[in-house]
Amino acid sequence: MQGTDVRQRMEALQDAVAKVDRRHASFARHARLREKNGFVRFGIDAVDAVFEDGFPVFALHEVRCGLSRDIGAAIGFLAGLIAGCMKNRTGRIVWVCDPACRLDGGQLFPAGLAMFGLDPARLLMVRPADLKSALWASDEAAKCTELAGVVFQVKGNPPRFDMTASRRLMLKAQQNGLFVSILRQGGEEEANAAATRWCVSARASAADPHLEKGIGLLRLGLVLERNRNGQTGQWTVAWNQHEHGFEHVPADYVDCPAATPHRPDSAPQMGQVMAFERAS
Amino acid sequence: MNGRPDAPPLAATAKVKNAMRLVAVDGHGYRAGLRVGQTLSDARALFPDLDVFDDDPDADAALLEAIAAWCDRYTPLVAVETLAATVSGSAPGLFLDISGCAHLFGGEEAMRGDLVARLRAAGIRAHAAIADTPGAAWAFARYSDRAAVAPGRHSKELLDLPLAGLRLETEMLDMLRKLGLRTVGCIAALPRAPLAARFGNSLLLRLDQALGREEEAISPRLPVPELSAERIFAEPIALVEDIERTALQLAGNLKSRLDARQLGARTLELKLFRVDGHVTPIAVRAASPVYQPERIMMLFRERIAGFHEDMDAGFGFDLIRLNVTESEERPVAQADLGGGQSRGEAFIGLVDKLGARLGTDRVQRFVAADTHIPERSFGLVAQAAGSAGTYSWNADGPVAGGQGGAAVLTRPVLLFDRPEPVEAVAEVPDGPPIRFRWRRTLYSVVRSEGPERIACEWWRDGRGGQSRDYFRVEDDAGLRFWIFRQGLFERETREPAWFMHGLFA
Repeated sequence: MQGTDVRQRMEALQDAVAKVDRRHASFARHARLREKNGFVRFGIDAVDAVFEDGFPVFALHEVRCGLSRDIGAAIGFLAGLIAGCMKNRTGRIVWVCDPACRLDGGQLFPAGLAMFGLDPARLLMVRPADLKSALWASDEAAKCTELAGVVFQVKGNPPRFDMTASRRLMLKAQQNGLFVSILRQGGEEEANAAATRWCVSARASAADPHLEKGIGLLRLGLVLERNRNGQTGQWTVAWNQHEHGFEHVPADYVDCPAATPHRPDSAPQMGQVMAFERAS
Repeated sequence: MNGRPDAPPLAATAKVKNAMRLVAVDGHGYRAGLRVGQTLSDARALFPDLDVFDDDPDADAALLEAIAAWCDRYTPLVAVETLAATVSGSAPGLFLDISGCAHLFGGEEAMRGDLVARLRAAGIRAHAAIADTPGAAWAFARYSDRAAVAPGRHSKELLDLPLAGLRLETEMLDMLRKLGLRTVGCIAALPRAPLAARFGNSLLLRLDQALGREEEAISPRLPVPELSAERIFAEPIALVEDIERTALQLAGNLKSRLDARQLGARTLELKLFRVDGHVTPIAVRAASPVYQPERIMMLFRERIAGFHEDMDAGFGFDLIRLNVTESEERPVAQADLGGGQSRGEAFIGLVDKLGARLGTDRVQRFVAADTHIPERSFGLVAQAAGSAGTYSWNADGPVAGGQGGAAVLTRPVLLFDRPEPVEAVAEVPDGPPIRFRWRRTLYSVVRSEGPERIACEWWRDGRGGQSRDYFRVEDDAGLRFWIFRQGLFERETREPAWFMHGLFA
């Protein structure tokens, strides 16, 4: 009789302790999310103005380029963004690559990424054989709290990667404190759960002060197409190699040299520009 | 071959000594007088309706290999016999080294009986013999009815067997027969020196090997696993959940032995023996030494999930074995006092999981190499394999134009695996391009920088390798390309070719 009494009291106490533990854990998680490094400043006043609390790092973000050949610009922007967000965070970055992206030829060049401040040694490249496994792999990676970020590179708008899949990634990013991003190569705008969606395109670079016709600071055209925490906008930014950060380029810049003067102007383009195919 | 009592005899033929001859006959044909070596026309004279098919040595070898894989259930040391075709005797067989294994099957005789009965059930008539030496077992299996020879008695029993039991070449056998030497006993009694002088060393070697005077090692077809645990089922199992549960149990059995040696497994193999004799091996590789049964089971679960559709359980598996094929010392890790996961464990778990499902060669990291040729300057290696490389990337990249630190990005973010040829027009033969056509689109260059010359690696490419002049070019839309001209004009080639190699941000 007395034995069961003691046992009941024991169980009640254990329950109470477990409850306190749980509350503690959820406090800790919330505290971590509210931490300053959950929201960072972009470093450009014009861009920071549209994010009320700051740029949310622990969320799902989409970076896309309209044309396949702008993928270089998109990768560069994403690399700079990751490097900026990860300044005081350690941990690896999982880069899941949909096989369709590789058919286009080309893969990440680590030396180029290093110039954007993204250490290639931090990358874990996952290259599954099909989209289904690629989705599974990025889902698994987003569960791992020890990572710094996950990038899911996808080509076009595959129907399998839908609202539900993106919402799952978003939830995991928030729960586990991860920077998760979709890198969409040559795709259309599409409704999904991402906190922000950026469309990146290449812009003519700045004039080189030392060299006539040289390539100066590289410039990218950014369109913030979607922003859950504020307004959208569009800017032209330049990558500053010395400071390892983006800087704003005023809209009225004119330092693009005229196209080759000795020839007649090229014929106007007809129709829509399609993503290129391999000629060989 | 008792499955077709009404059918005519069956024989395999091949072209031997310029004639179609029988190379194998079934039991029915043998009893009716067909013999190996007969010409096909003679055989047809005996049996006009003889069933004939072409001999297929590759299929024979594949079948023997499959039987060898199945024989793993008896012993890890299974060797496929590799004898020269000139050796007299029938088709090649298998050697099983059953030292220390026989008691698991209730003794040597019971083990042999089990093996022959199971093979017979699968439609294969096998002859098996157990003896002290591989040579003696070979002879007894082929030329005697004795199934097992008591230890130490094989040399006496062997003397009555024909000389062909010594694995001799046909020519030598013919010569010995002409001299009236027919049994092993005939030559065992003869003085050795004249025999060696007359027939060479191989005769005495085979004799000594059979009698046990000379050591003969069989070469197992697979390396022996470091540790192994198995489970036999009275009722075959087929469900994936059951296989996973068995893997967990087997891993639990292995844990105490791994603990005792302070080892962890790096590669593991789960062998599923199907009832009909097919063996499915499932190999996994862990990113770090594993010994926890749950983690081992997780690896197999993901691996099985990865090729679930391809696995054919048939009528079920009656034996499942877990082998540790490669082990490593466990890293010394400080356990977390709070009882949680220690640092880095979650990441290793993720690598294991991804590697098990997708294959370890699909989960990779970058390693730098000590070369300037862009496509060779880095590699992707499996994360699960080995330690980090010795070279690393300099965040500033190569110094451009003599300024300290690169003010501009000199390397693209995207590199094509194989440089793509472009048609380019340059103002001067060694200048930058002003227009180029890439993937059927014409680009006109507005800005360009370069060249950055990267010479070929003569120690790798040999004489005739060509230097590359890399240009960073920007077209009128702002796209930036990394494009190079292969070969120096007039010094290395008359017509340099242009290639597209990468895309800048």
